[in-house]
Amino acid sequence: MELQINKNNPTIMHIDLNSCFATVEQQANMHLRGKPVVVAAYATPSGCVVSPSIEAKQYGIRVGMTVRDARLLCKNVMVRTPDPPLVRDVHIKFKKIFKDYSPNVYPRSIDEAVIDFTGMESYLNRSLVEIGKEIKQRLRSEIGEWISCSLGIGSNRFLAKTAASLKKPDGLEIITDKNLRDVYKRLTLIDLCGINKRFEARLNANGIFTPLEFLDAPLSLLKNQVFQSIVGYYWYLRLRGWEIDDVIFARKSFGQDYALGKATKDPHELAQIMMKLCEKMGRRLRKAGKAALGIHVACLYYDGTFWHRGRKFQTEMLTVFELYRKALYVFNQQPEKKVIVKISISCYDLIPSKKSQASLFDFPEVKERKVSTALDAINDKYGEYVITPGLMLGMKDLVIDRIAFGGVKELENLYEN
Amino acid sequence: MLEIINEKISVITKYDRMKGTVIPLKLHWQGKEFFIKKLSYYHRVRLGRNIQHIFHVTDDNMDFRLRLDSETLHWTLEEITDGTPD
Repeated sequence: MELQINKNNPTIMHIDLNSCFATVEQQANMHLRGKPVVVAAYATPSGCVVSPSIEAKQYGIRVGMTVRDARLLCKNVMVRTPDPPLVRDVHIKFKKIFKDYSPNVYPRSIDEAVIDFTGMESYLNRSLVEIGKEIKQRLRSEIGEWISCSLGIGSNRFLAKTAASLKKPDGLEIITDKNLRDVYKRLTLIDLCGINKRFEARLNANGIFTPLEFLDAPLSLLKNQVFQSIVGYYWYLRLRGWEIDDVIFARKSFGQDYALGKATKDPHELAQIMMKLCEKMGRRLRKAGKAALGIHVACLYYDGTFWHRGRKFQTEMLTVFELYRKALYVFNQQPEKKVIVKISISCYDLIPSKKSQASLFDFPEVKERKVSTALDAINDKYGEYVITPGLMLGMKDLVIDRIAFGGVKELENLYEN
Repeated sequence: MLEIINEKISVITKYDRMKGTVIPLKLHWQGKEFFIKKLSYYHRVRLGRNIQHIFHVTDDNMDFRLRLDSETLHWTLEEITDGTPD
């Protein structure tokens, strides 16, 4: 029997700050308002644009372009580098506003959040559209007059996000069982969140070319032929407005990566970068009260090739030196030393650090952990990298503070402060 | 044009006891006085246990990014922007 479209009142609201990084810069600097601005990872010509302002988008500037390309499209574009503390502050403020409306607020990234009103209908006494309008107004009055958001309302997270993307910037759209088919009629498969070009090709190969055809596709086709897994069933539910994405995944790893401004194969330079990555990763690991048993290193080479390896160990890693030594051990297993453009280190198989097994013979390890605890206390008191391993000397401006794209897990630390 | 300054400056502020806010009114830099017309954004940054207060203000001609160190009470002009292309 075919599953019907969800006819319940929409209770999920998705809020997406428009051009977040660039808009926040324009909020802080009045003279940037109404002008094409891009926030790029680096202000150099090959720096990657992470957020174009609404005005820059009108010139065709998009996320992922290089600064060089952005300047070709608009020679007067102003380039700024990210200001993570500023953006994080805006995130905390908007989350605080959302919490006034529902206890169930789920940040999806630094500039997106979902408010779940399920079960609260009787307390609200007004429609979600009215609440949405109030939220938009409060963002302007309490955070800044230049801050705007696109807001979508739907019966599940997928439809709420789809609704939020219908009108940008500053939209407020609602998708119900009544207009669902009309909305799908206006969209392409790529417009659906979670469908990329490869999925589109896979759908096309099975005779599905539009979201409406996707909606009308039978479950057996999606599950057995198109996706060949449970994913087909998830899409079957998702498209009909039934919730399938209200899952919170537990943290399974901590990781850091770094795109090298200048590609290199110099072992000393790479060792310094690895030490800093391990230091950042280790701080987060220890703050979470965890230790790791596994370490994974990945390298993207200048020639476009990629190498990665993970390794599990008998003893857990907790301090920066333990992480660094093991990371270097894995790193040295590369079959060929080539010029590296990006390096990633992550630790996995997490265990509570207090439960870790003390070594019977390895006394220096115990001393090292005491030193590590003392270093953490000093850095907590006086600020990050006040005291660092000698290998990190002169690295203040390398592997700088960044906000992860789409990262929700990194936000955990944000709410603690 | 964005210019990084990082110079200590003199600032006259207004403290509002009812709102519990401090707002810069006038700043003195390189022998000139700049009258603040608007506070565009305010946020705090933690450096260990020390809190740094960041004020993004404008005098209508330029945007200033000011930092007040809560430990030393020093004001620093970190950067200026006039909105012209770089």
